[in-house]
Amino acid sequence: MRTIFLIAIDSIRALLHQRLLLGLMLASLALTIFFSIIMSKERTVITESFSDDTMTNNSVMGTNQMSAVDRRNFQDKMESASTTFQAMFYQVASFGGSIVALFIFSTAVASEIRKGTIRLTLSKPVSRTQFLLGKYLGGVVVMAAFALLTWFAILIFAQTQNLELSPVIKWAPWLMFCRQLMLGSLAMLLSLFMHPIIASVLAFVAGNGFYSLHNPLYYILPSYKDFNVFFQVLEGTLLNLKDVAFLSLYAADFVVIMLLLALWRFRTKELV
Amino acid sequence: MTAIRTENLSKTYGAGRNGTETAAVRALNLEVREGEIFGFLGPNGAGKTSTIHLLLNLIRPTSGTAYLFDRPVTETAVHRRLGYLPESVNLHDYYRGRALLDFYAALCGVPANSRSARVTELLKLLHLEDAAEKRVSKYSKGMAQRIGFAQAMLHDPDLLILDEPTASLDPVGRKEFRDILLELKRRGKTVFISSHILSEVKTVCDRVAILQNGELKRTGTLQELSANKKTKLVVKGLPAPVMEALAITAAEVTLVQGLATISCPDEELRQTVEQLLRQHGVEIVRTETGTQSLEEIFFATITPPPKL
Repeated sequence: MRTIFLIAIDSIRALLHQRLLLGLMLASLALTIFFSIIMSKERTVITESFSDDTMTNNSVMGTNQMSAVDRRNFQDKMESASTTFQAMFYQVASFGGSIVALFIFSTAVASEIRKGTIRLTLSKPVSRTQFLLGKYLGGVVVMAAFALLTWFAILIFAQTQNLELSPVIKWAPWLMFCRQLMLGSLAMLLSLFMHPIIASVLAFVAGNGFYSLHNPLYYILPSYKDFNVFFQVLEGTLLNLKDVAFLSLYAADFVVIMLLLALWRFRTKELV
Repeated sequence: MTAIRTENLSKTYGAGRNGTETAAVRALNLEVREGEIFGFLGPNGAGKTSTIHLLLNLIRPTSGTAYLFDRPVTETAVHRRLGYLPESVNLHDYYRGRALLDFYAALCGVPANSRSARVTELLKLLHLEDAAEKRVSKYSKGMAQRIGFAQAMLHDPDLLILDEPTASLDPVGRKEFRDILLELKRRGKTVFISSHILSEVKTVCDRVAILQNGELKRTGTLQELSANKKTKLVVKGLPAPVMEALAITAAEVTLVQGLATISCPDEELRQTVEQLLRQHGVEIVRTETGTQSLEEIFFATITPPPKL
């Protein structure tokens, strides 16, 4: 176990020195700020438009208050803007995270083989199983940090904009994390057979809805569909704990199968 | 116990674009004894690096088996006794020198309380103290080779496998490297060196093996491999009957300052001459056995490539 942790720490260290990865994370941060600004402006526009309407109505009717209908309209508009932005925010974070996950997991082993650094590591008392699991664990830690950052960003976003969080958005980072681990494990497995870029594209495409429930492939290939809560966030639907637990188990099951297949492949792979 | 043993070890790489298979190693039977420095020679493409990769379990043999300390190379535990320096040292370039060695030492199981001291000791031994806090990506080839050598020795392994270890070193570095190897030998360590630099191999190696086209051509000490079996017997004065008897043989006699040197071109004649000398009570002062240089042995062994 100690060796797996050592490899994982080394893997995290390597990832932190990846300029492309840092670039992707910075891009995600920039998008967060961009969304905050847009959201802020949109709220101002809604508030101003209601203020103008109220003033017009007040001058006509001689009253000094917003009517109950107007207030409900105002609240509906603000809520609608809020959920749209939360859903969009989630979608961007989720997509960005998927790209980061594909990058991390598809190159984790492949780049070590390509650079030749794996030869030194495996000349030490490190088994191939320990190496692969260590590499995967390193990626999991980075993705967990990404999910946590997303969660904090959502909280800060809601706090600064005085928004009420959509009930489902609280689970969104966790489901996003599960989805990214599934993507990652598949990308890692495929990268042991082919170029990391092709592996990433295939891992992304395989599970993103090319088949319906009637297609038998649905039961074999991964499905990331249910992990995407964009519409639930948009509609404010509740996601119960049972669904989250079921999805988490599905993801864990899938990841274990992919890792077992990856280990089987990696144990016989030529590493030079 | 043998440090390295291979039994009919073969490696054939799959068909490439032109549809041909390449046999990198063919039925290799090799034994490296514990405590010896073993030179692994061969021209480019002979299969030396492939053999090393097989020994490290980085590639799978097509057939045959390889053992390190009588354990199959597939057992990870055997790597606790192994240190390896590859031909081109590719390091994790996001580390600084000391941190890199610390990481490898931890992987080798060097206890945390002695790790720092061991790393410092090796940095000093390989003259890398000033570069210890420098990023590895900024290292020159020679420095990378040195730190590569340091990582191989971190856990004081019983067996060192070195692939072209001095390729990037200057003459001073090579001399220091030789001294380290001889010190390791004195301490009973086994060293397996693949090298093109024959003079270096000759200086430090107890035995050598010559490989060509994946086939083991010859193996043994320099003396065993030498085709030149000429022996010189140096004696004090030669009685006339002995001179007469020698005159009708293929032995050559030269007289210098009262000493006679009898050159025997082969083993059979040497035995005849020794018997003759004993019969006449002539004392043999010393026996000199001629050997070929490693370069002569190497070129006599390998088949030259076809002329372009």
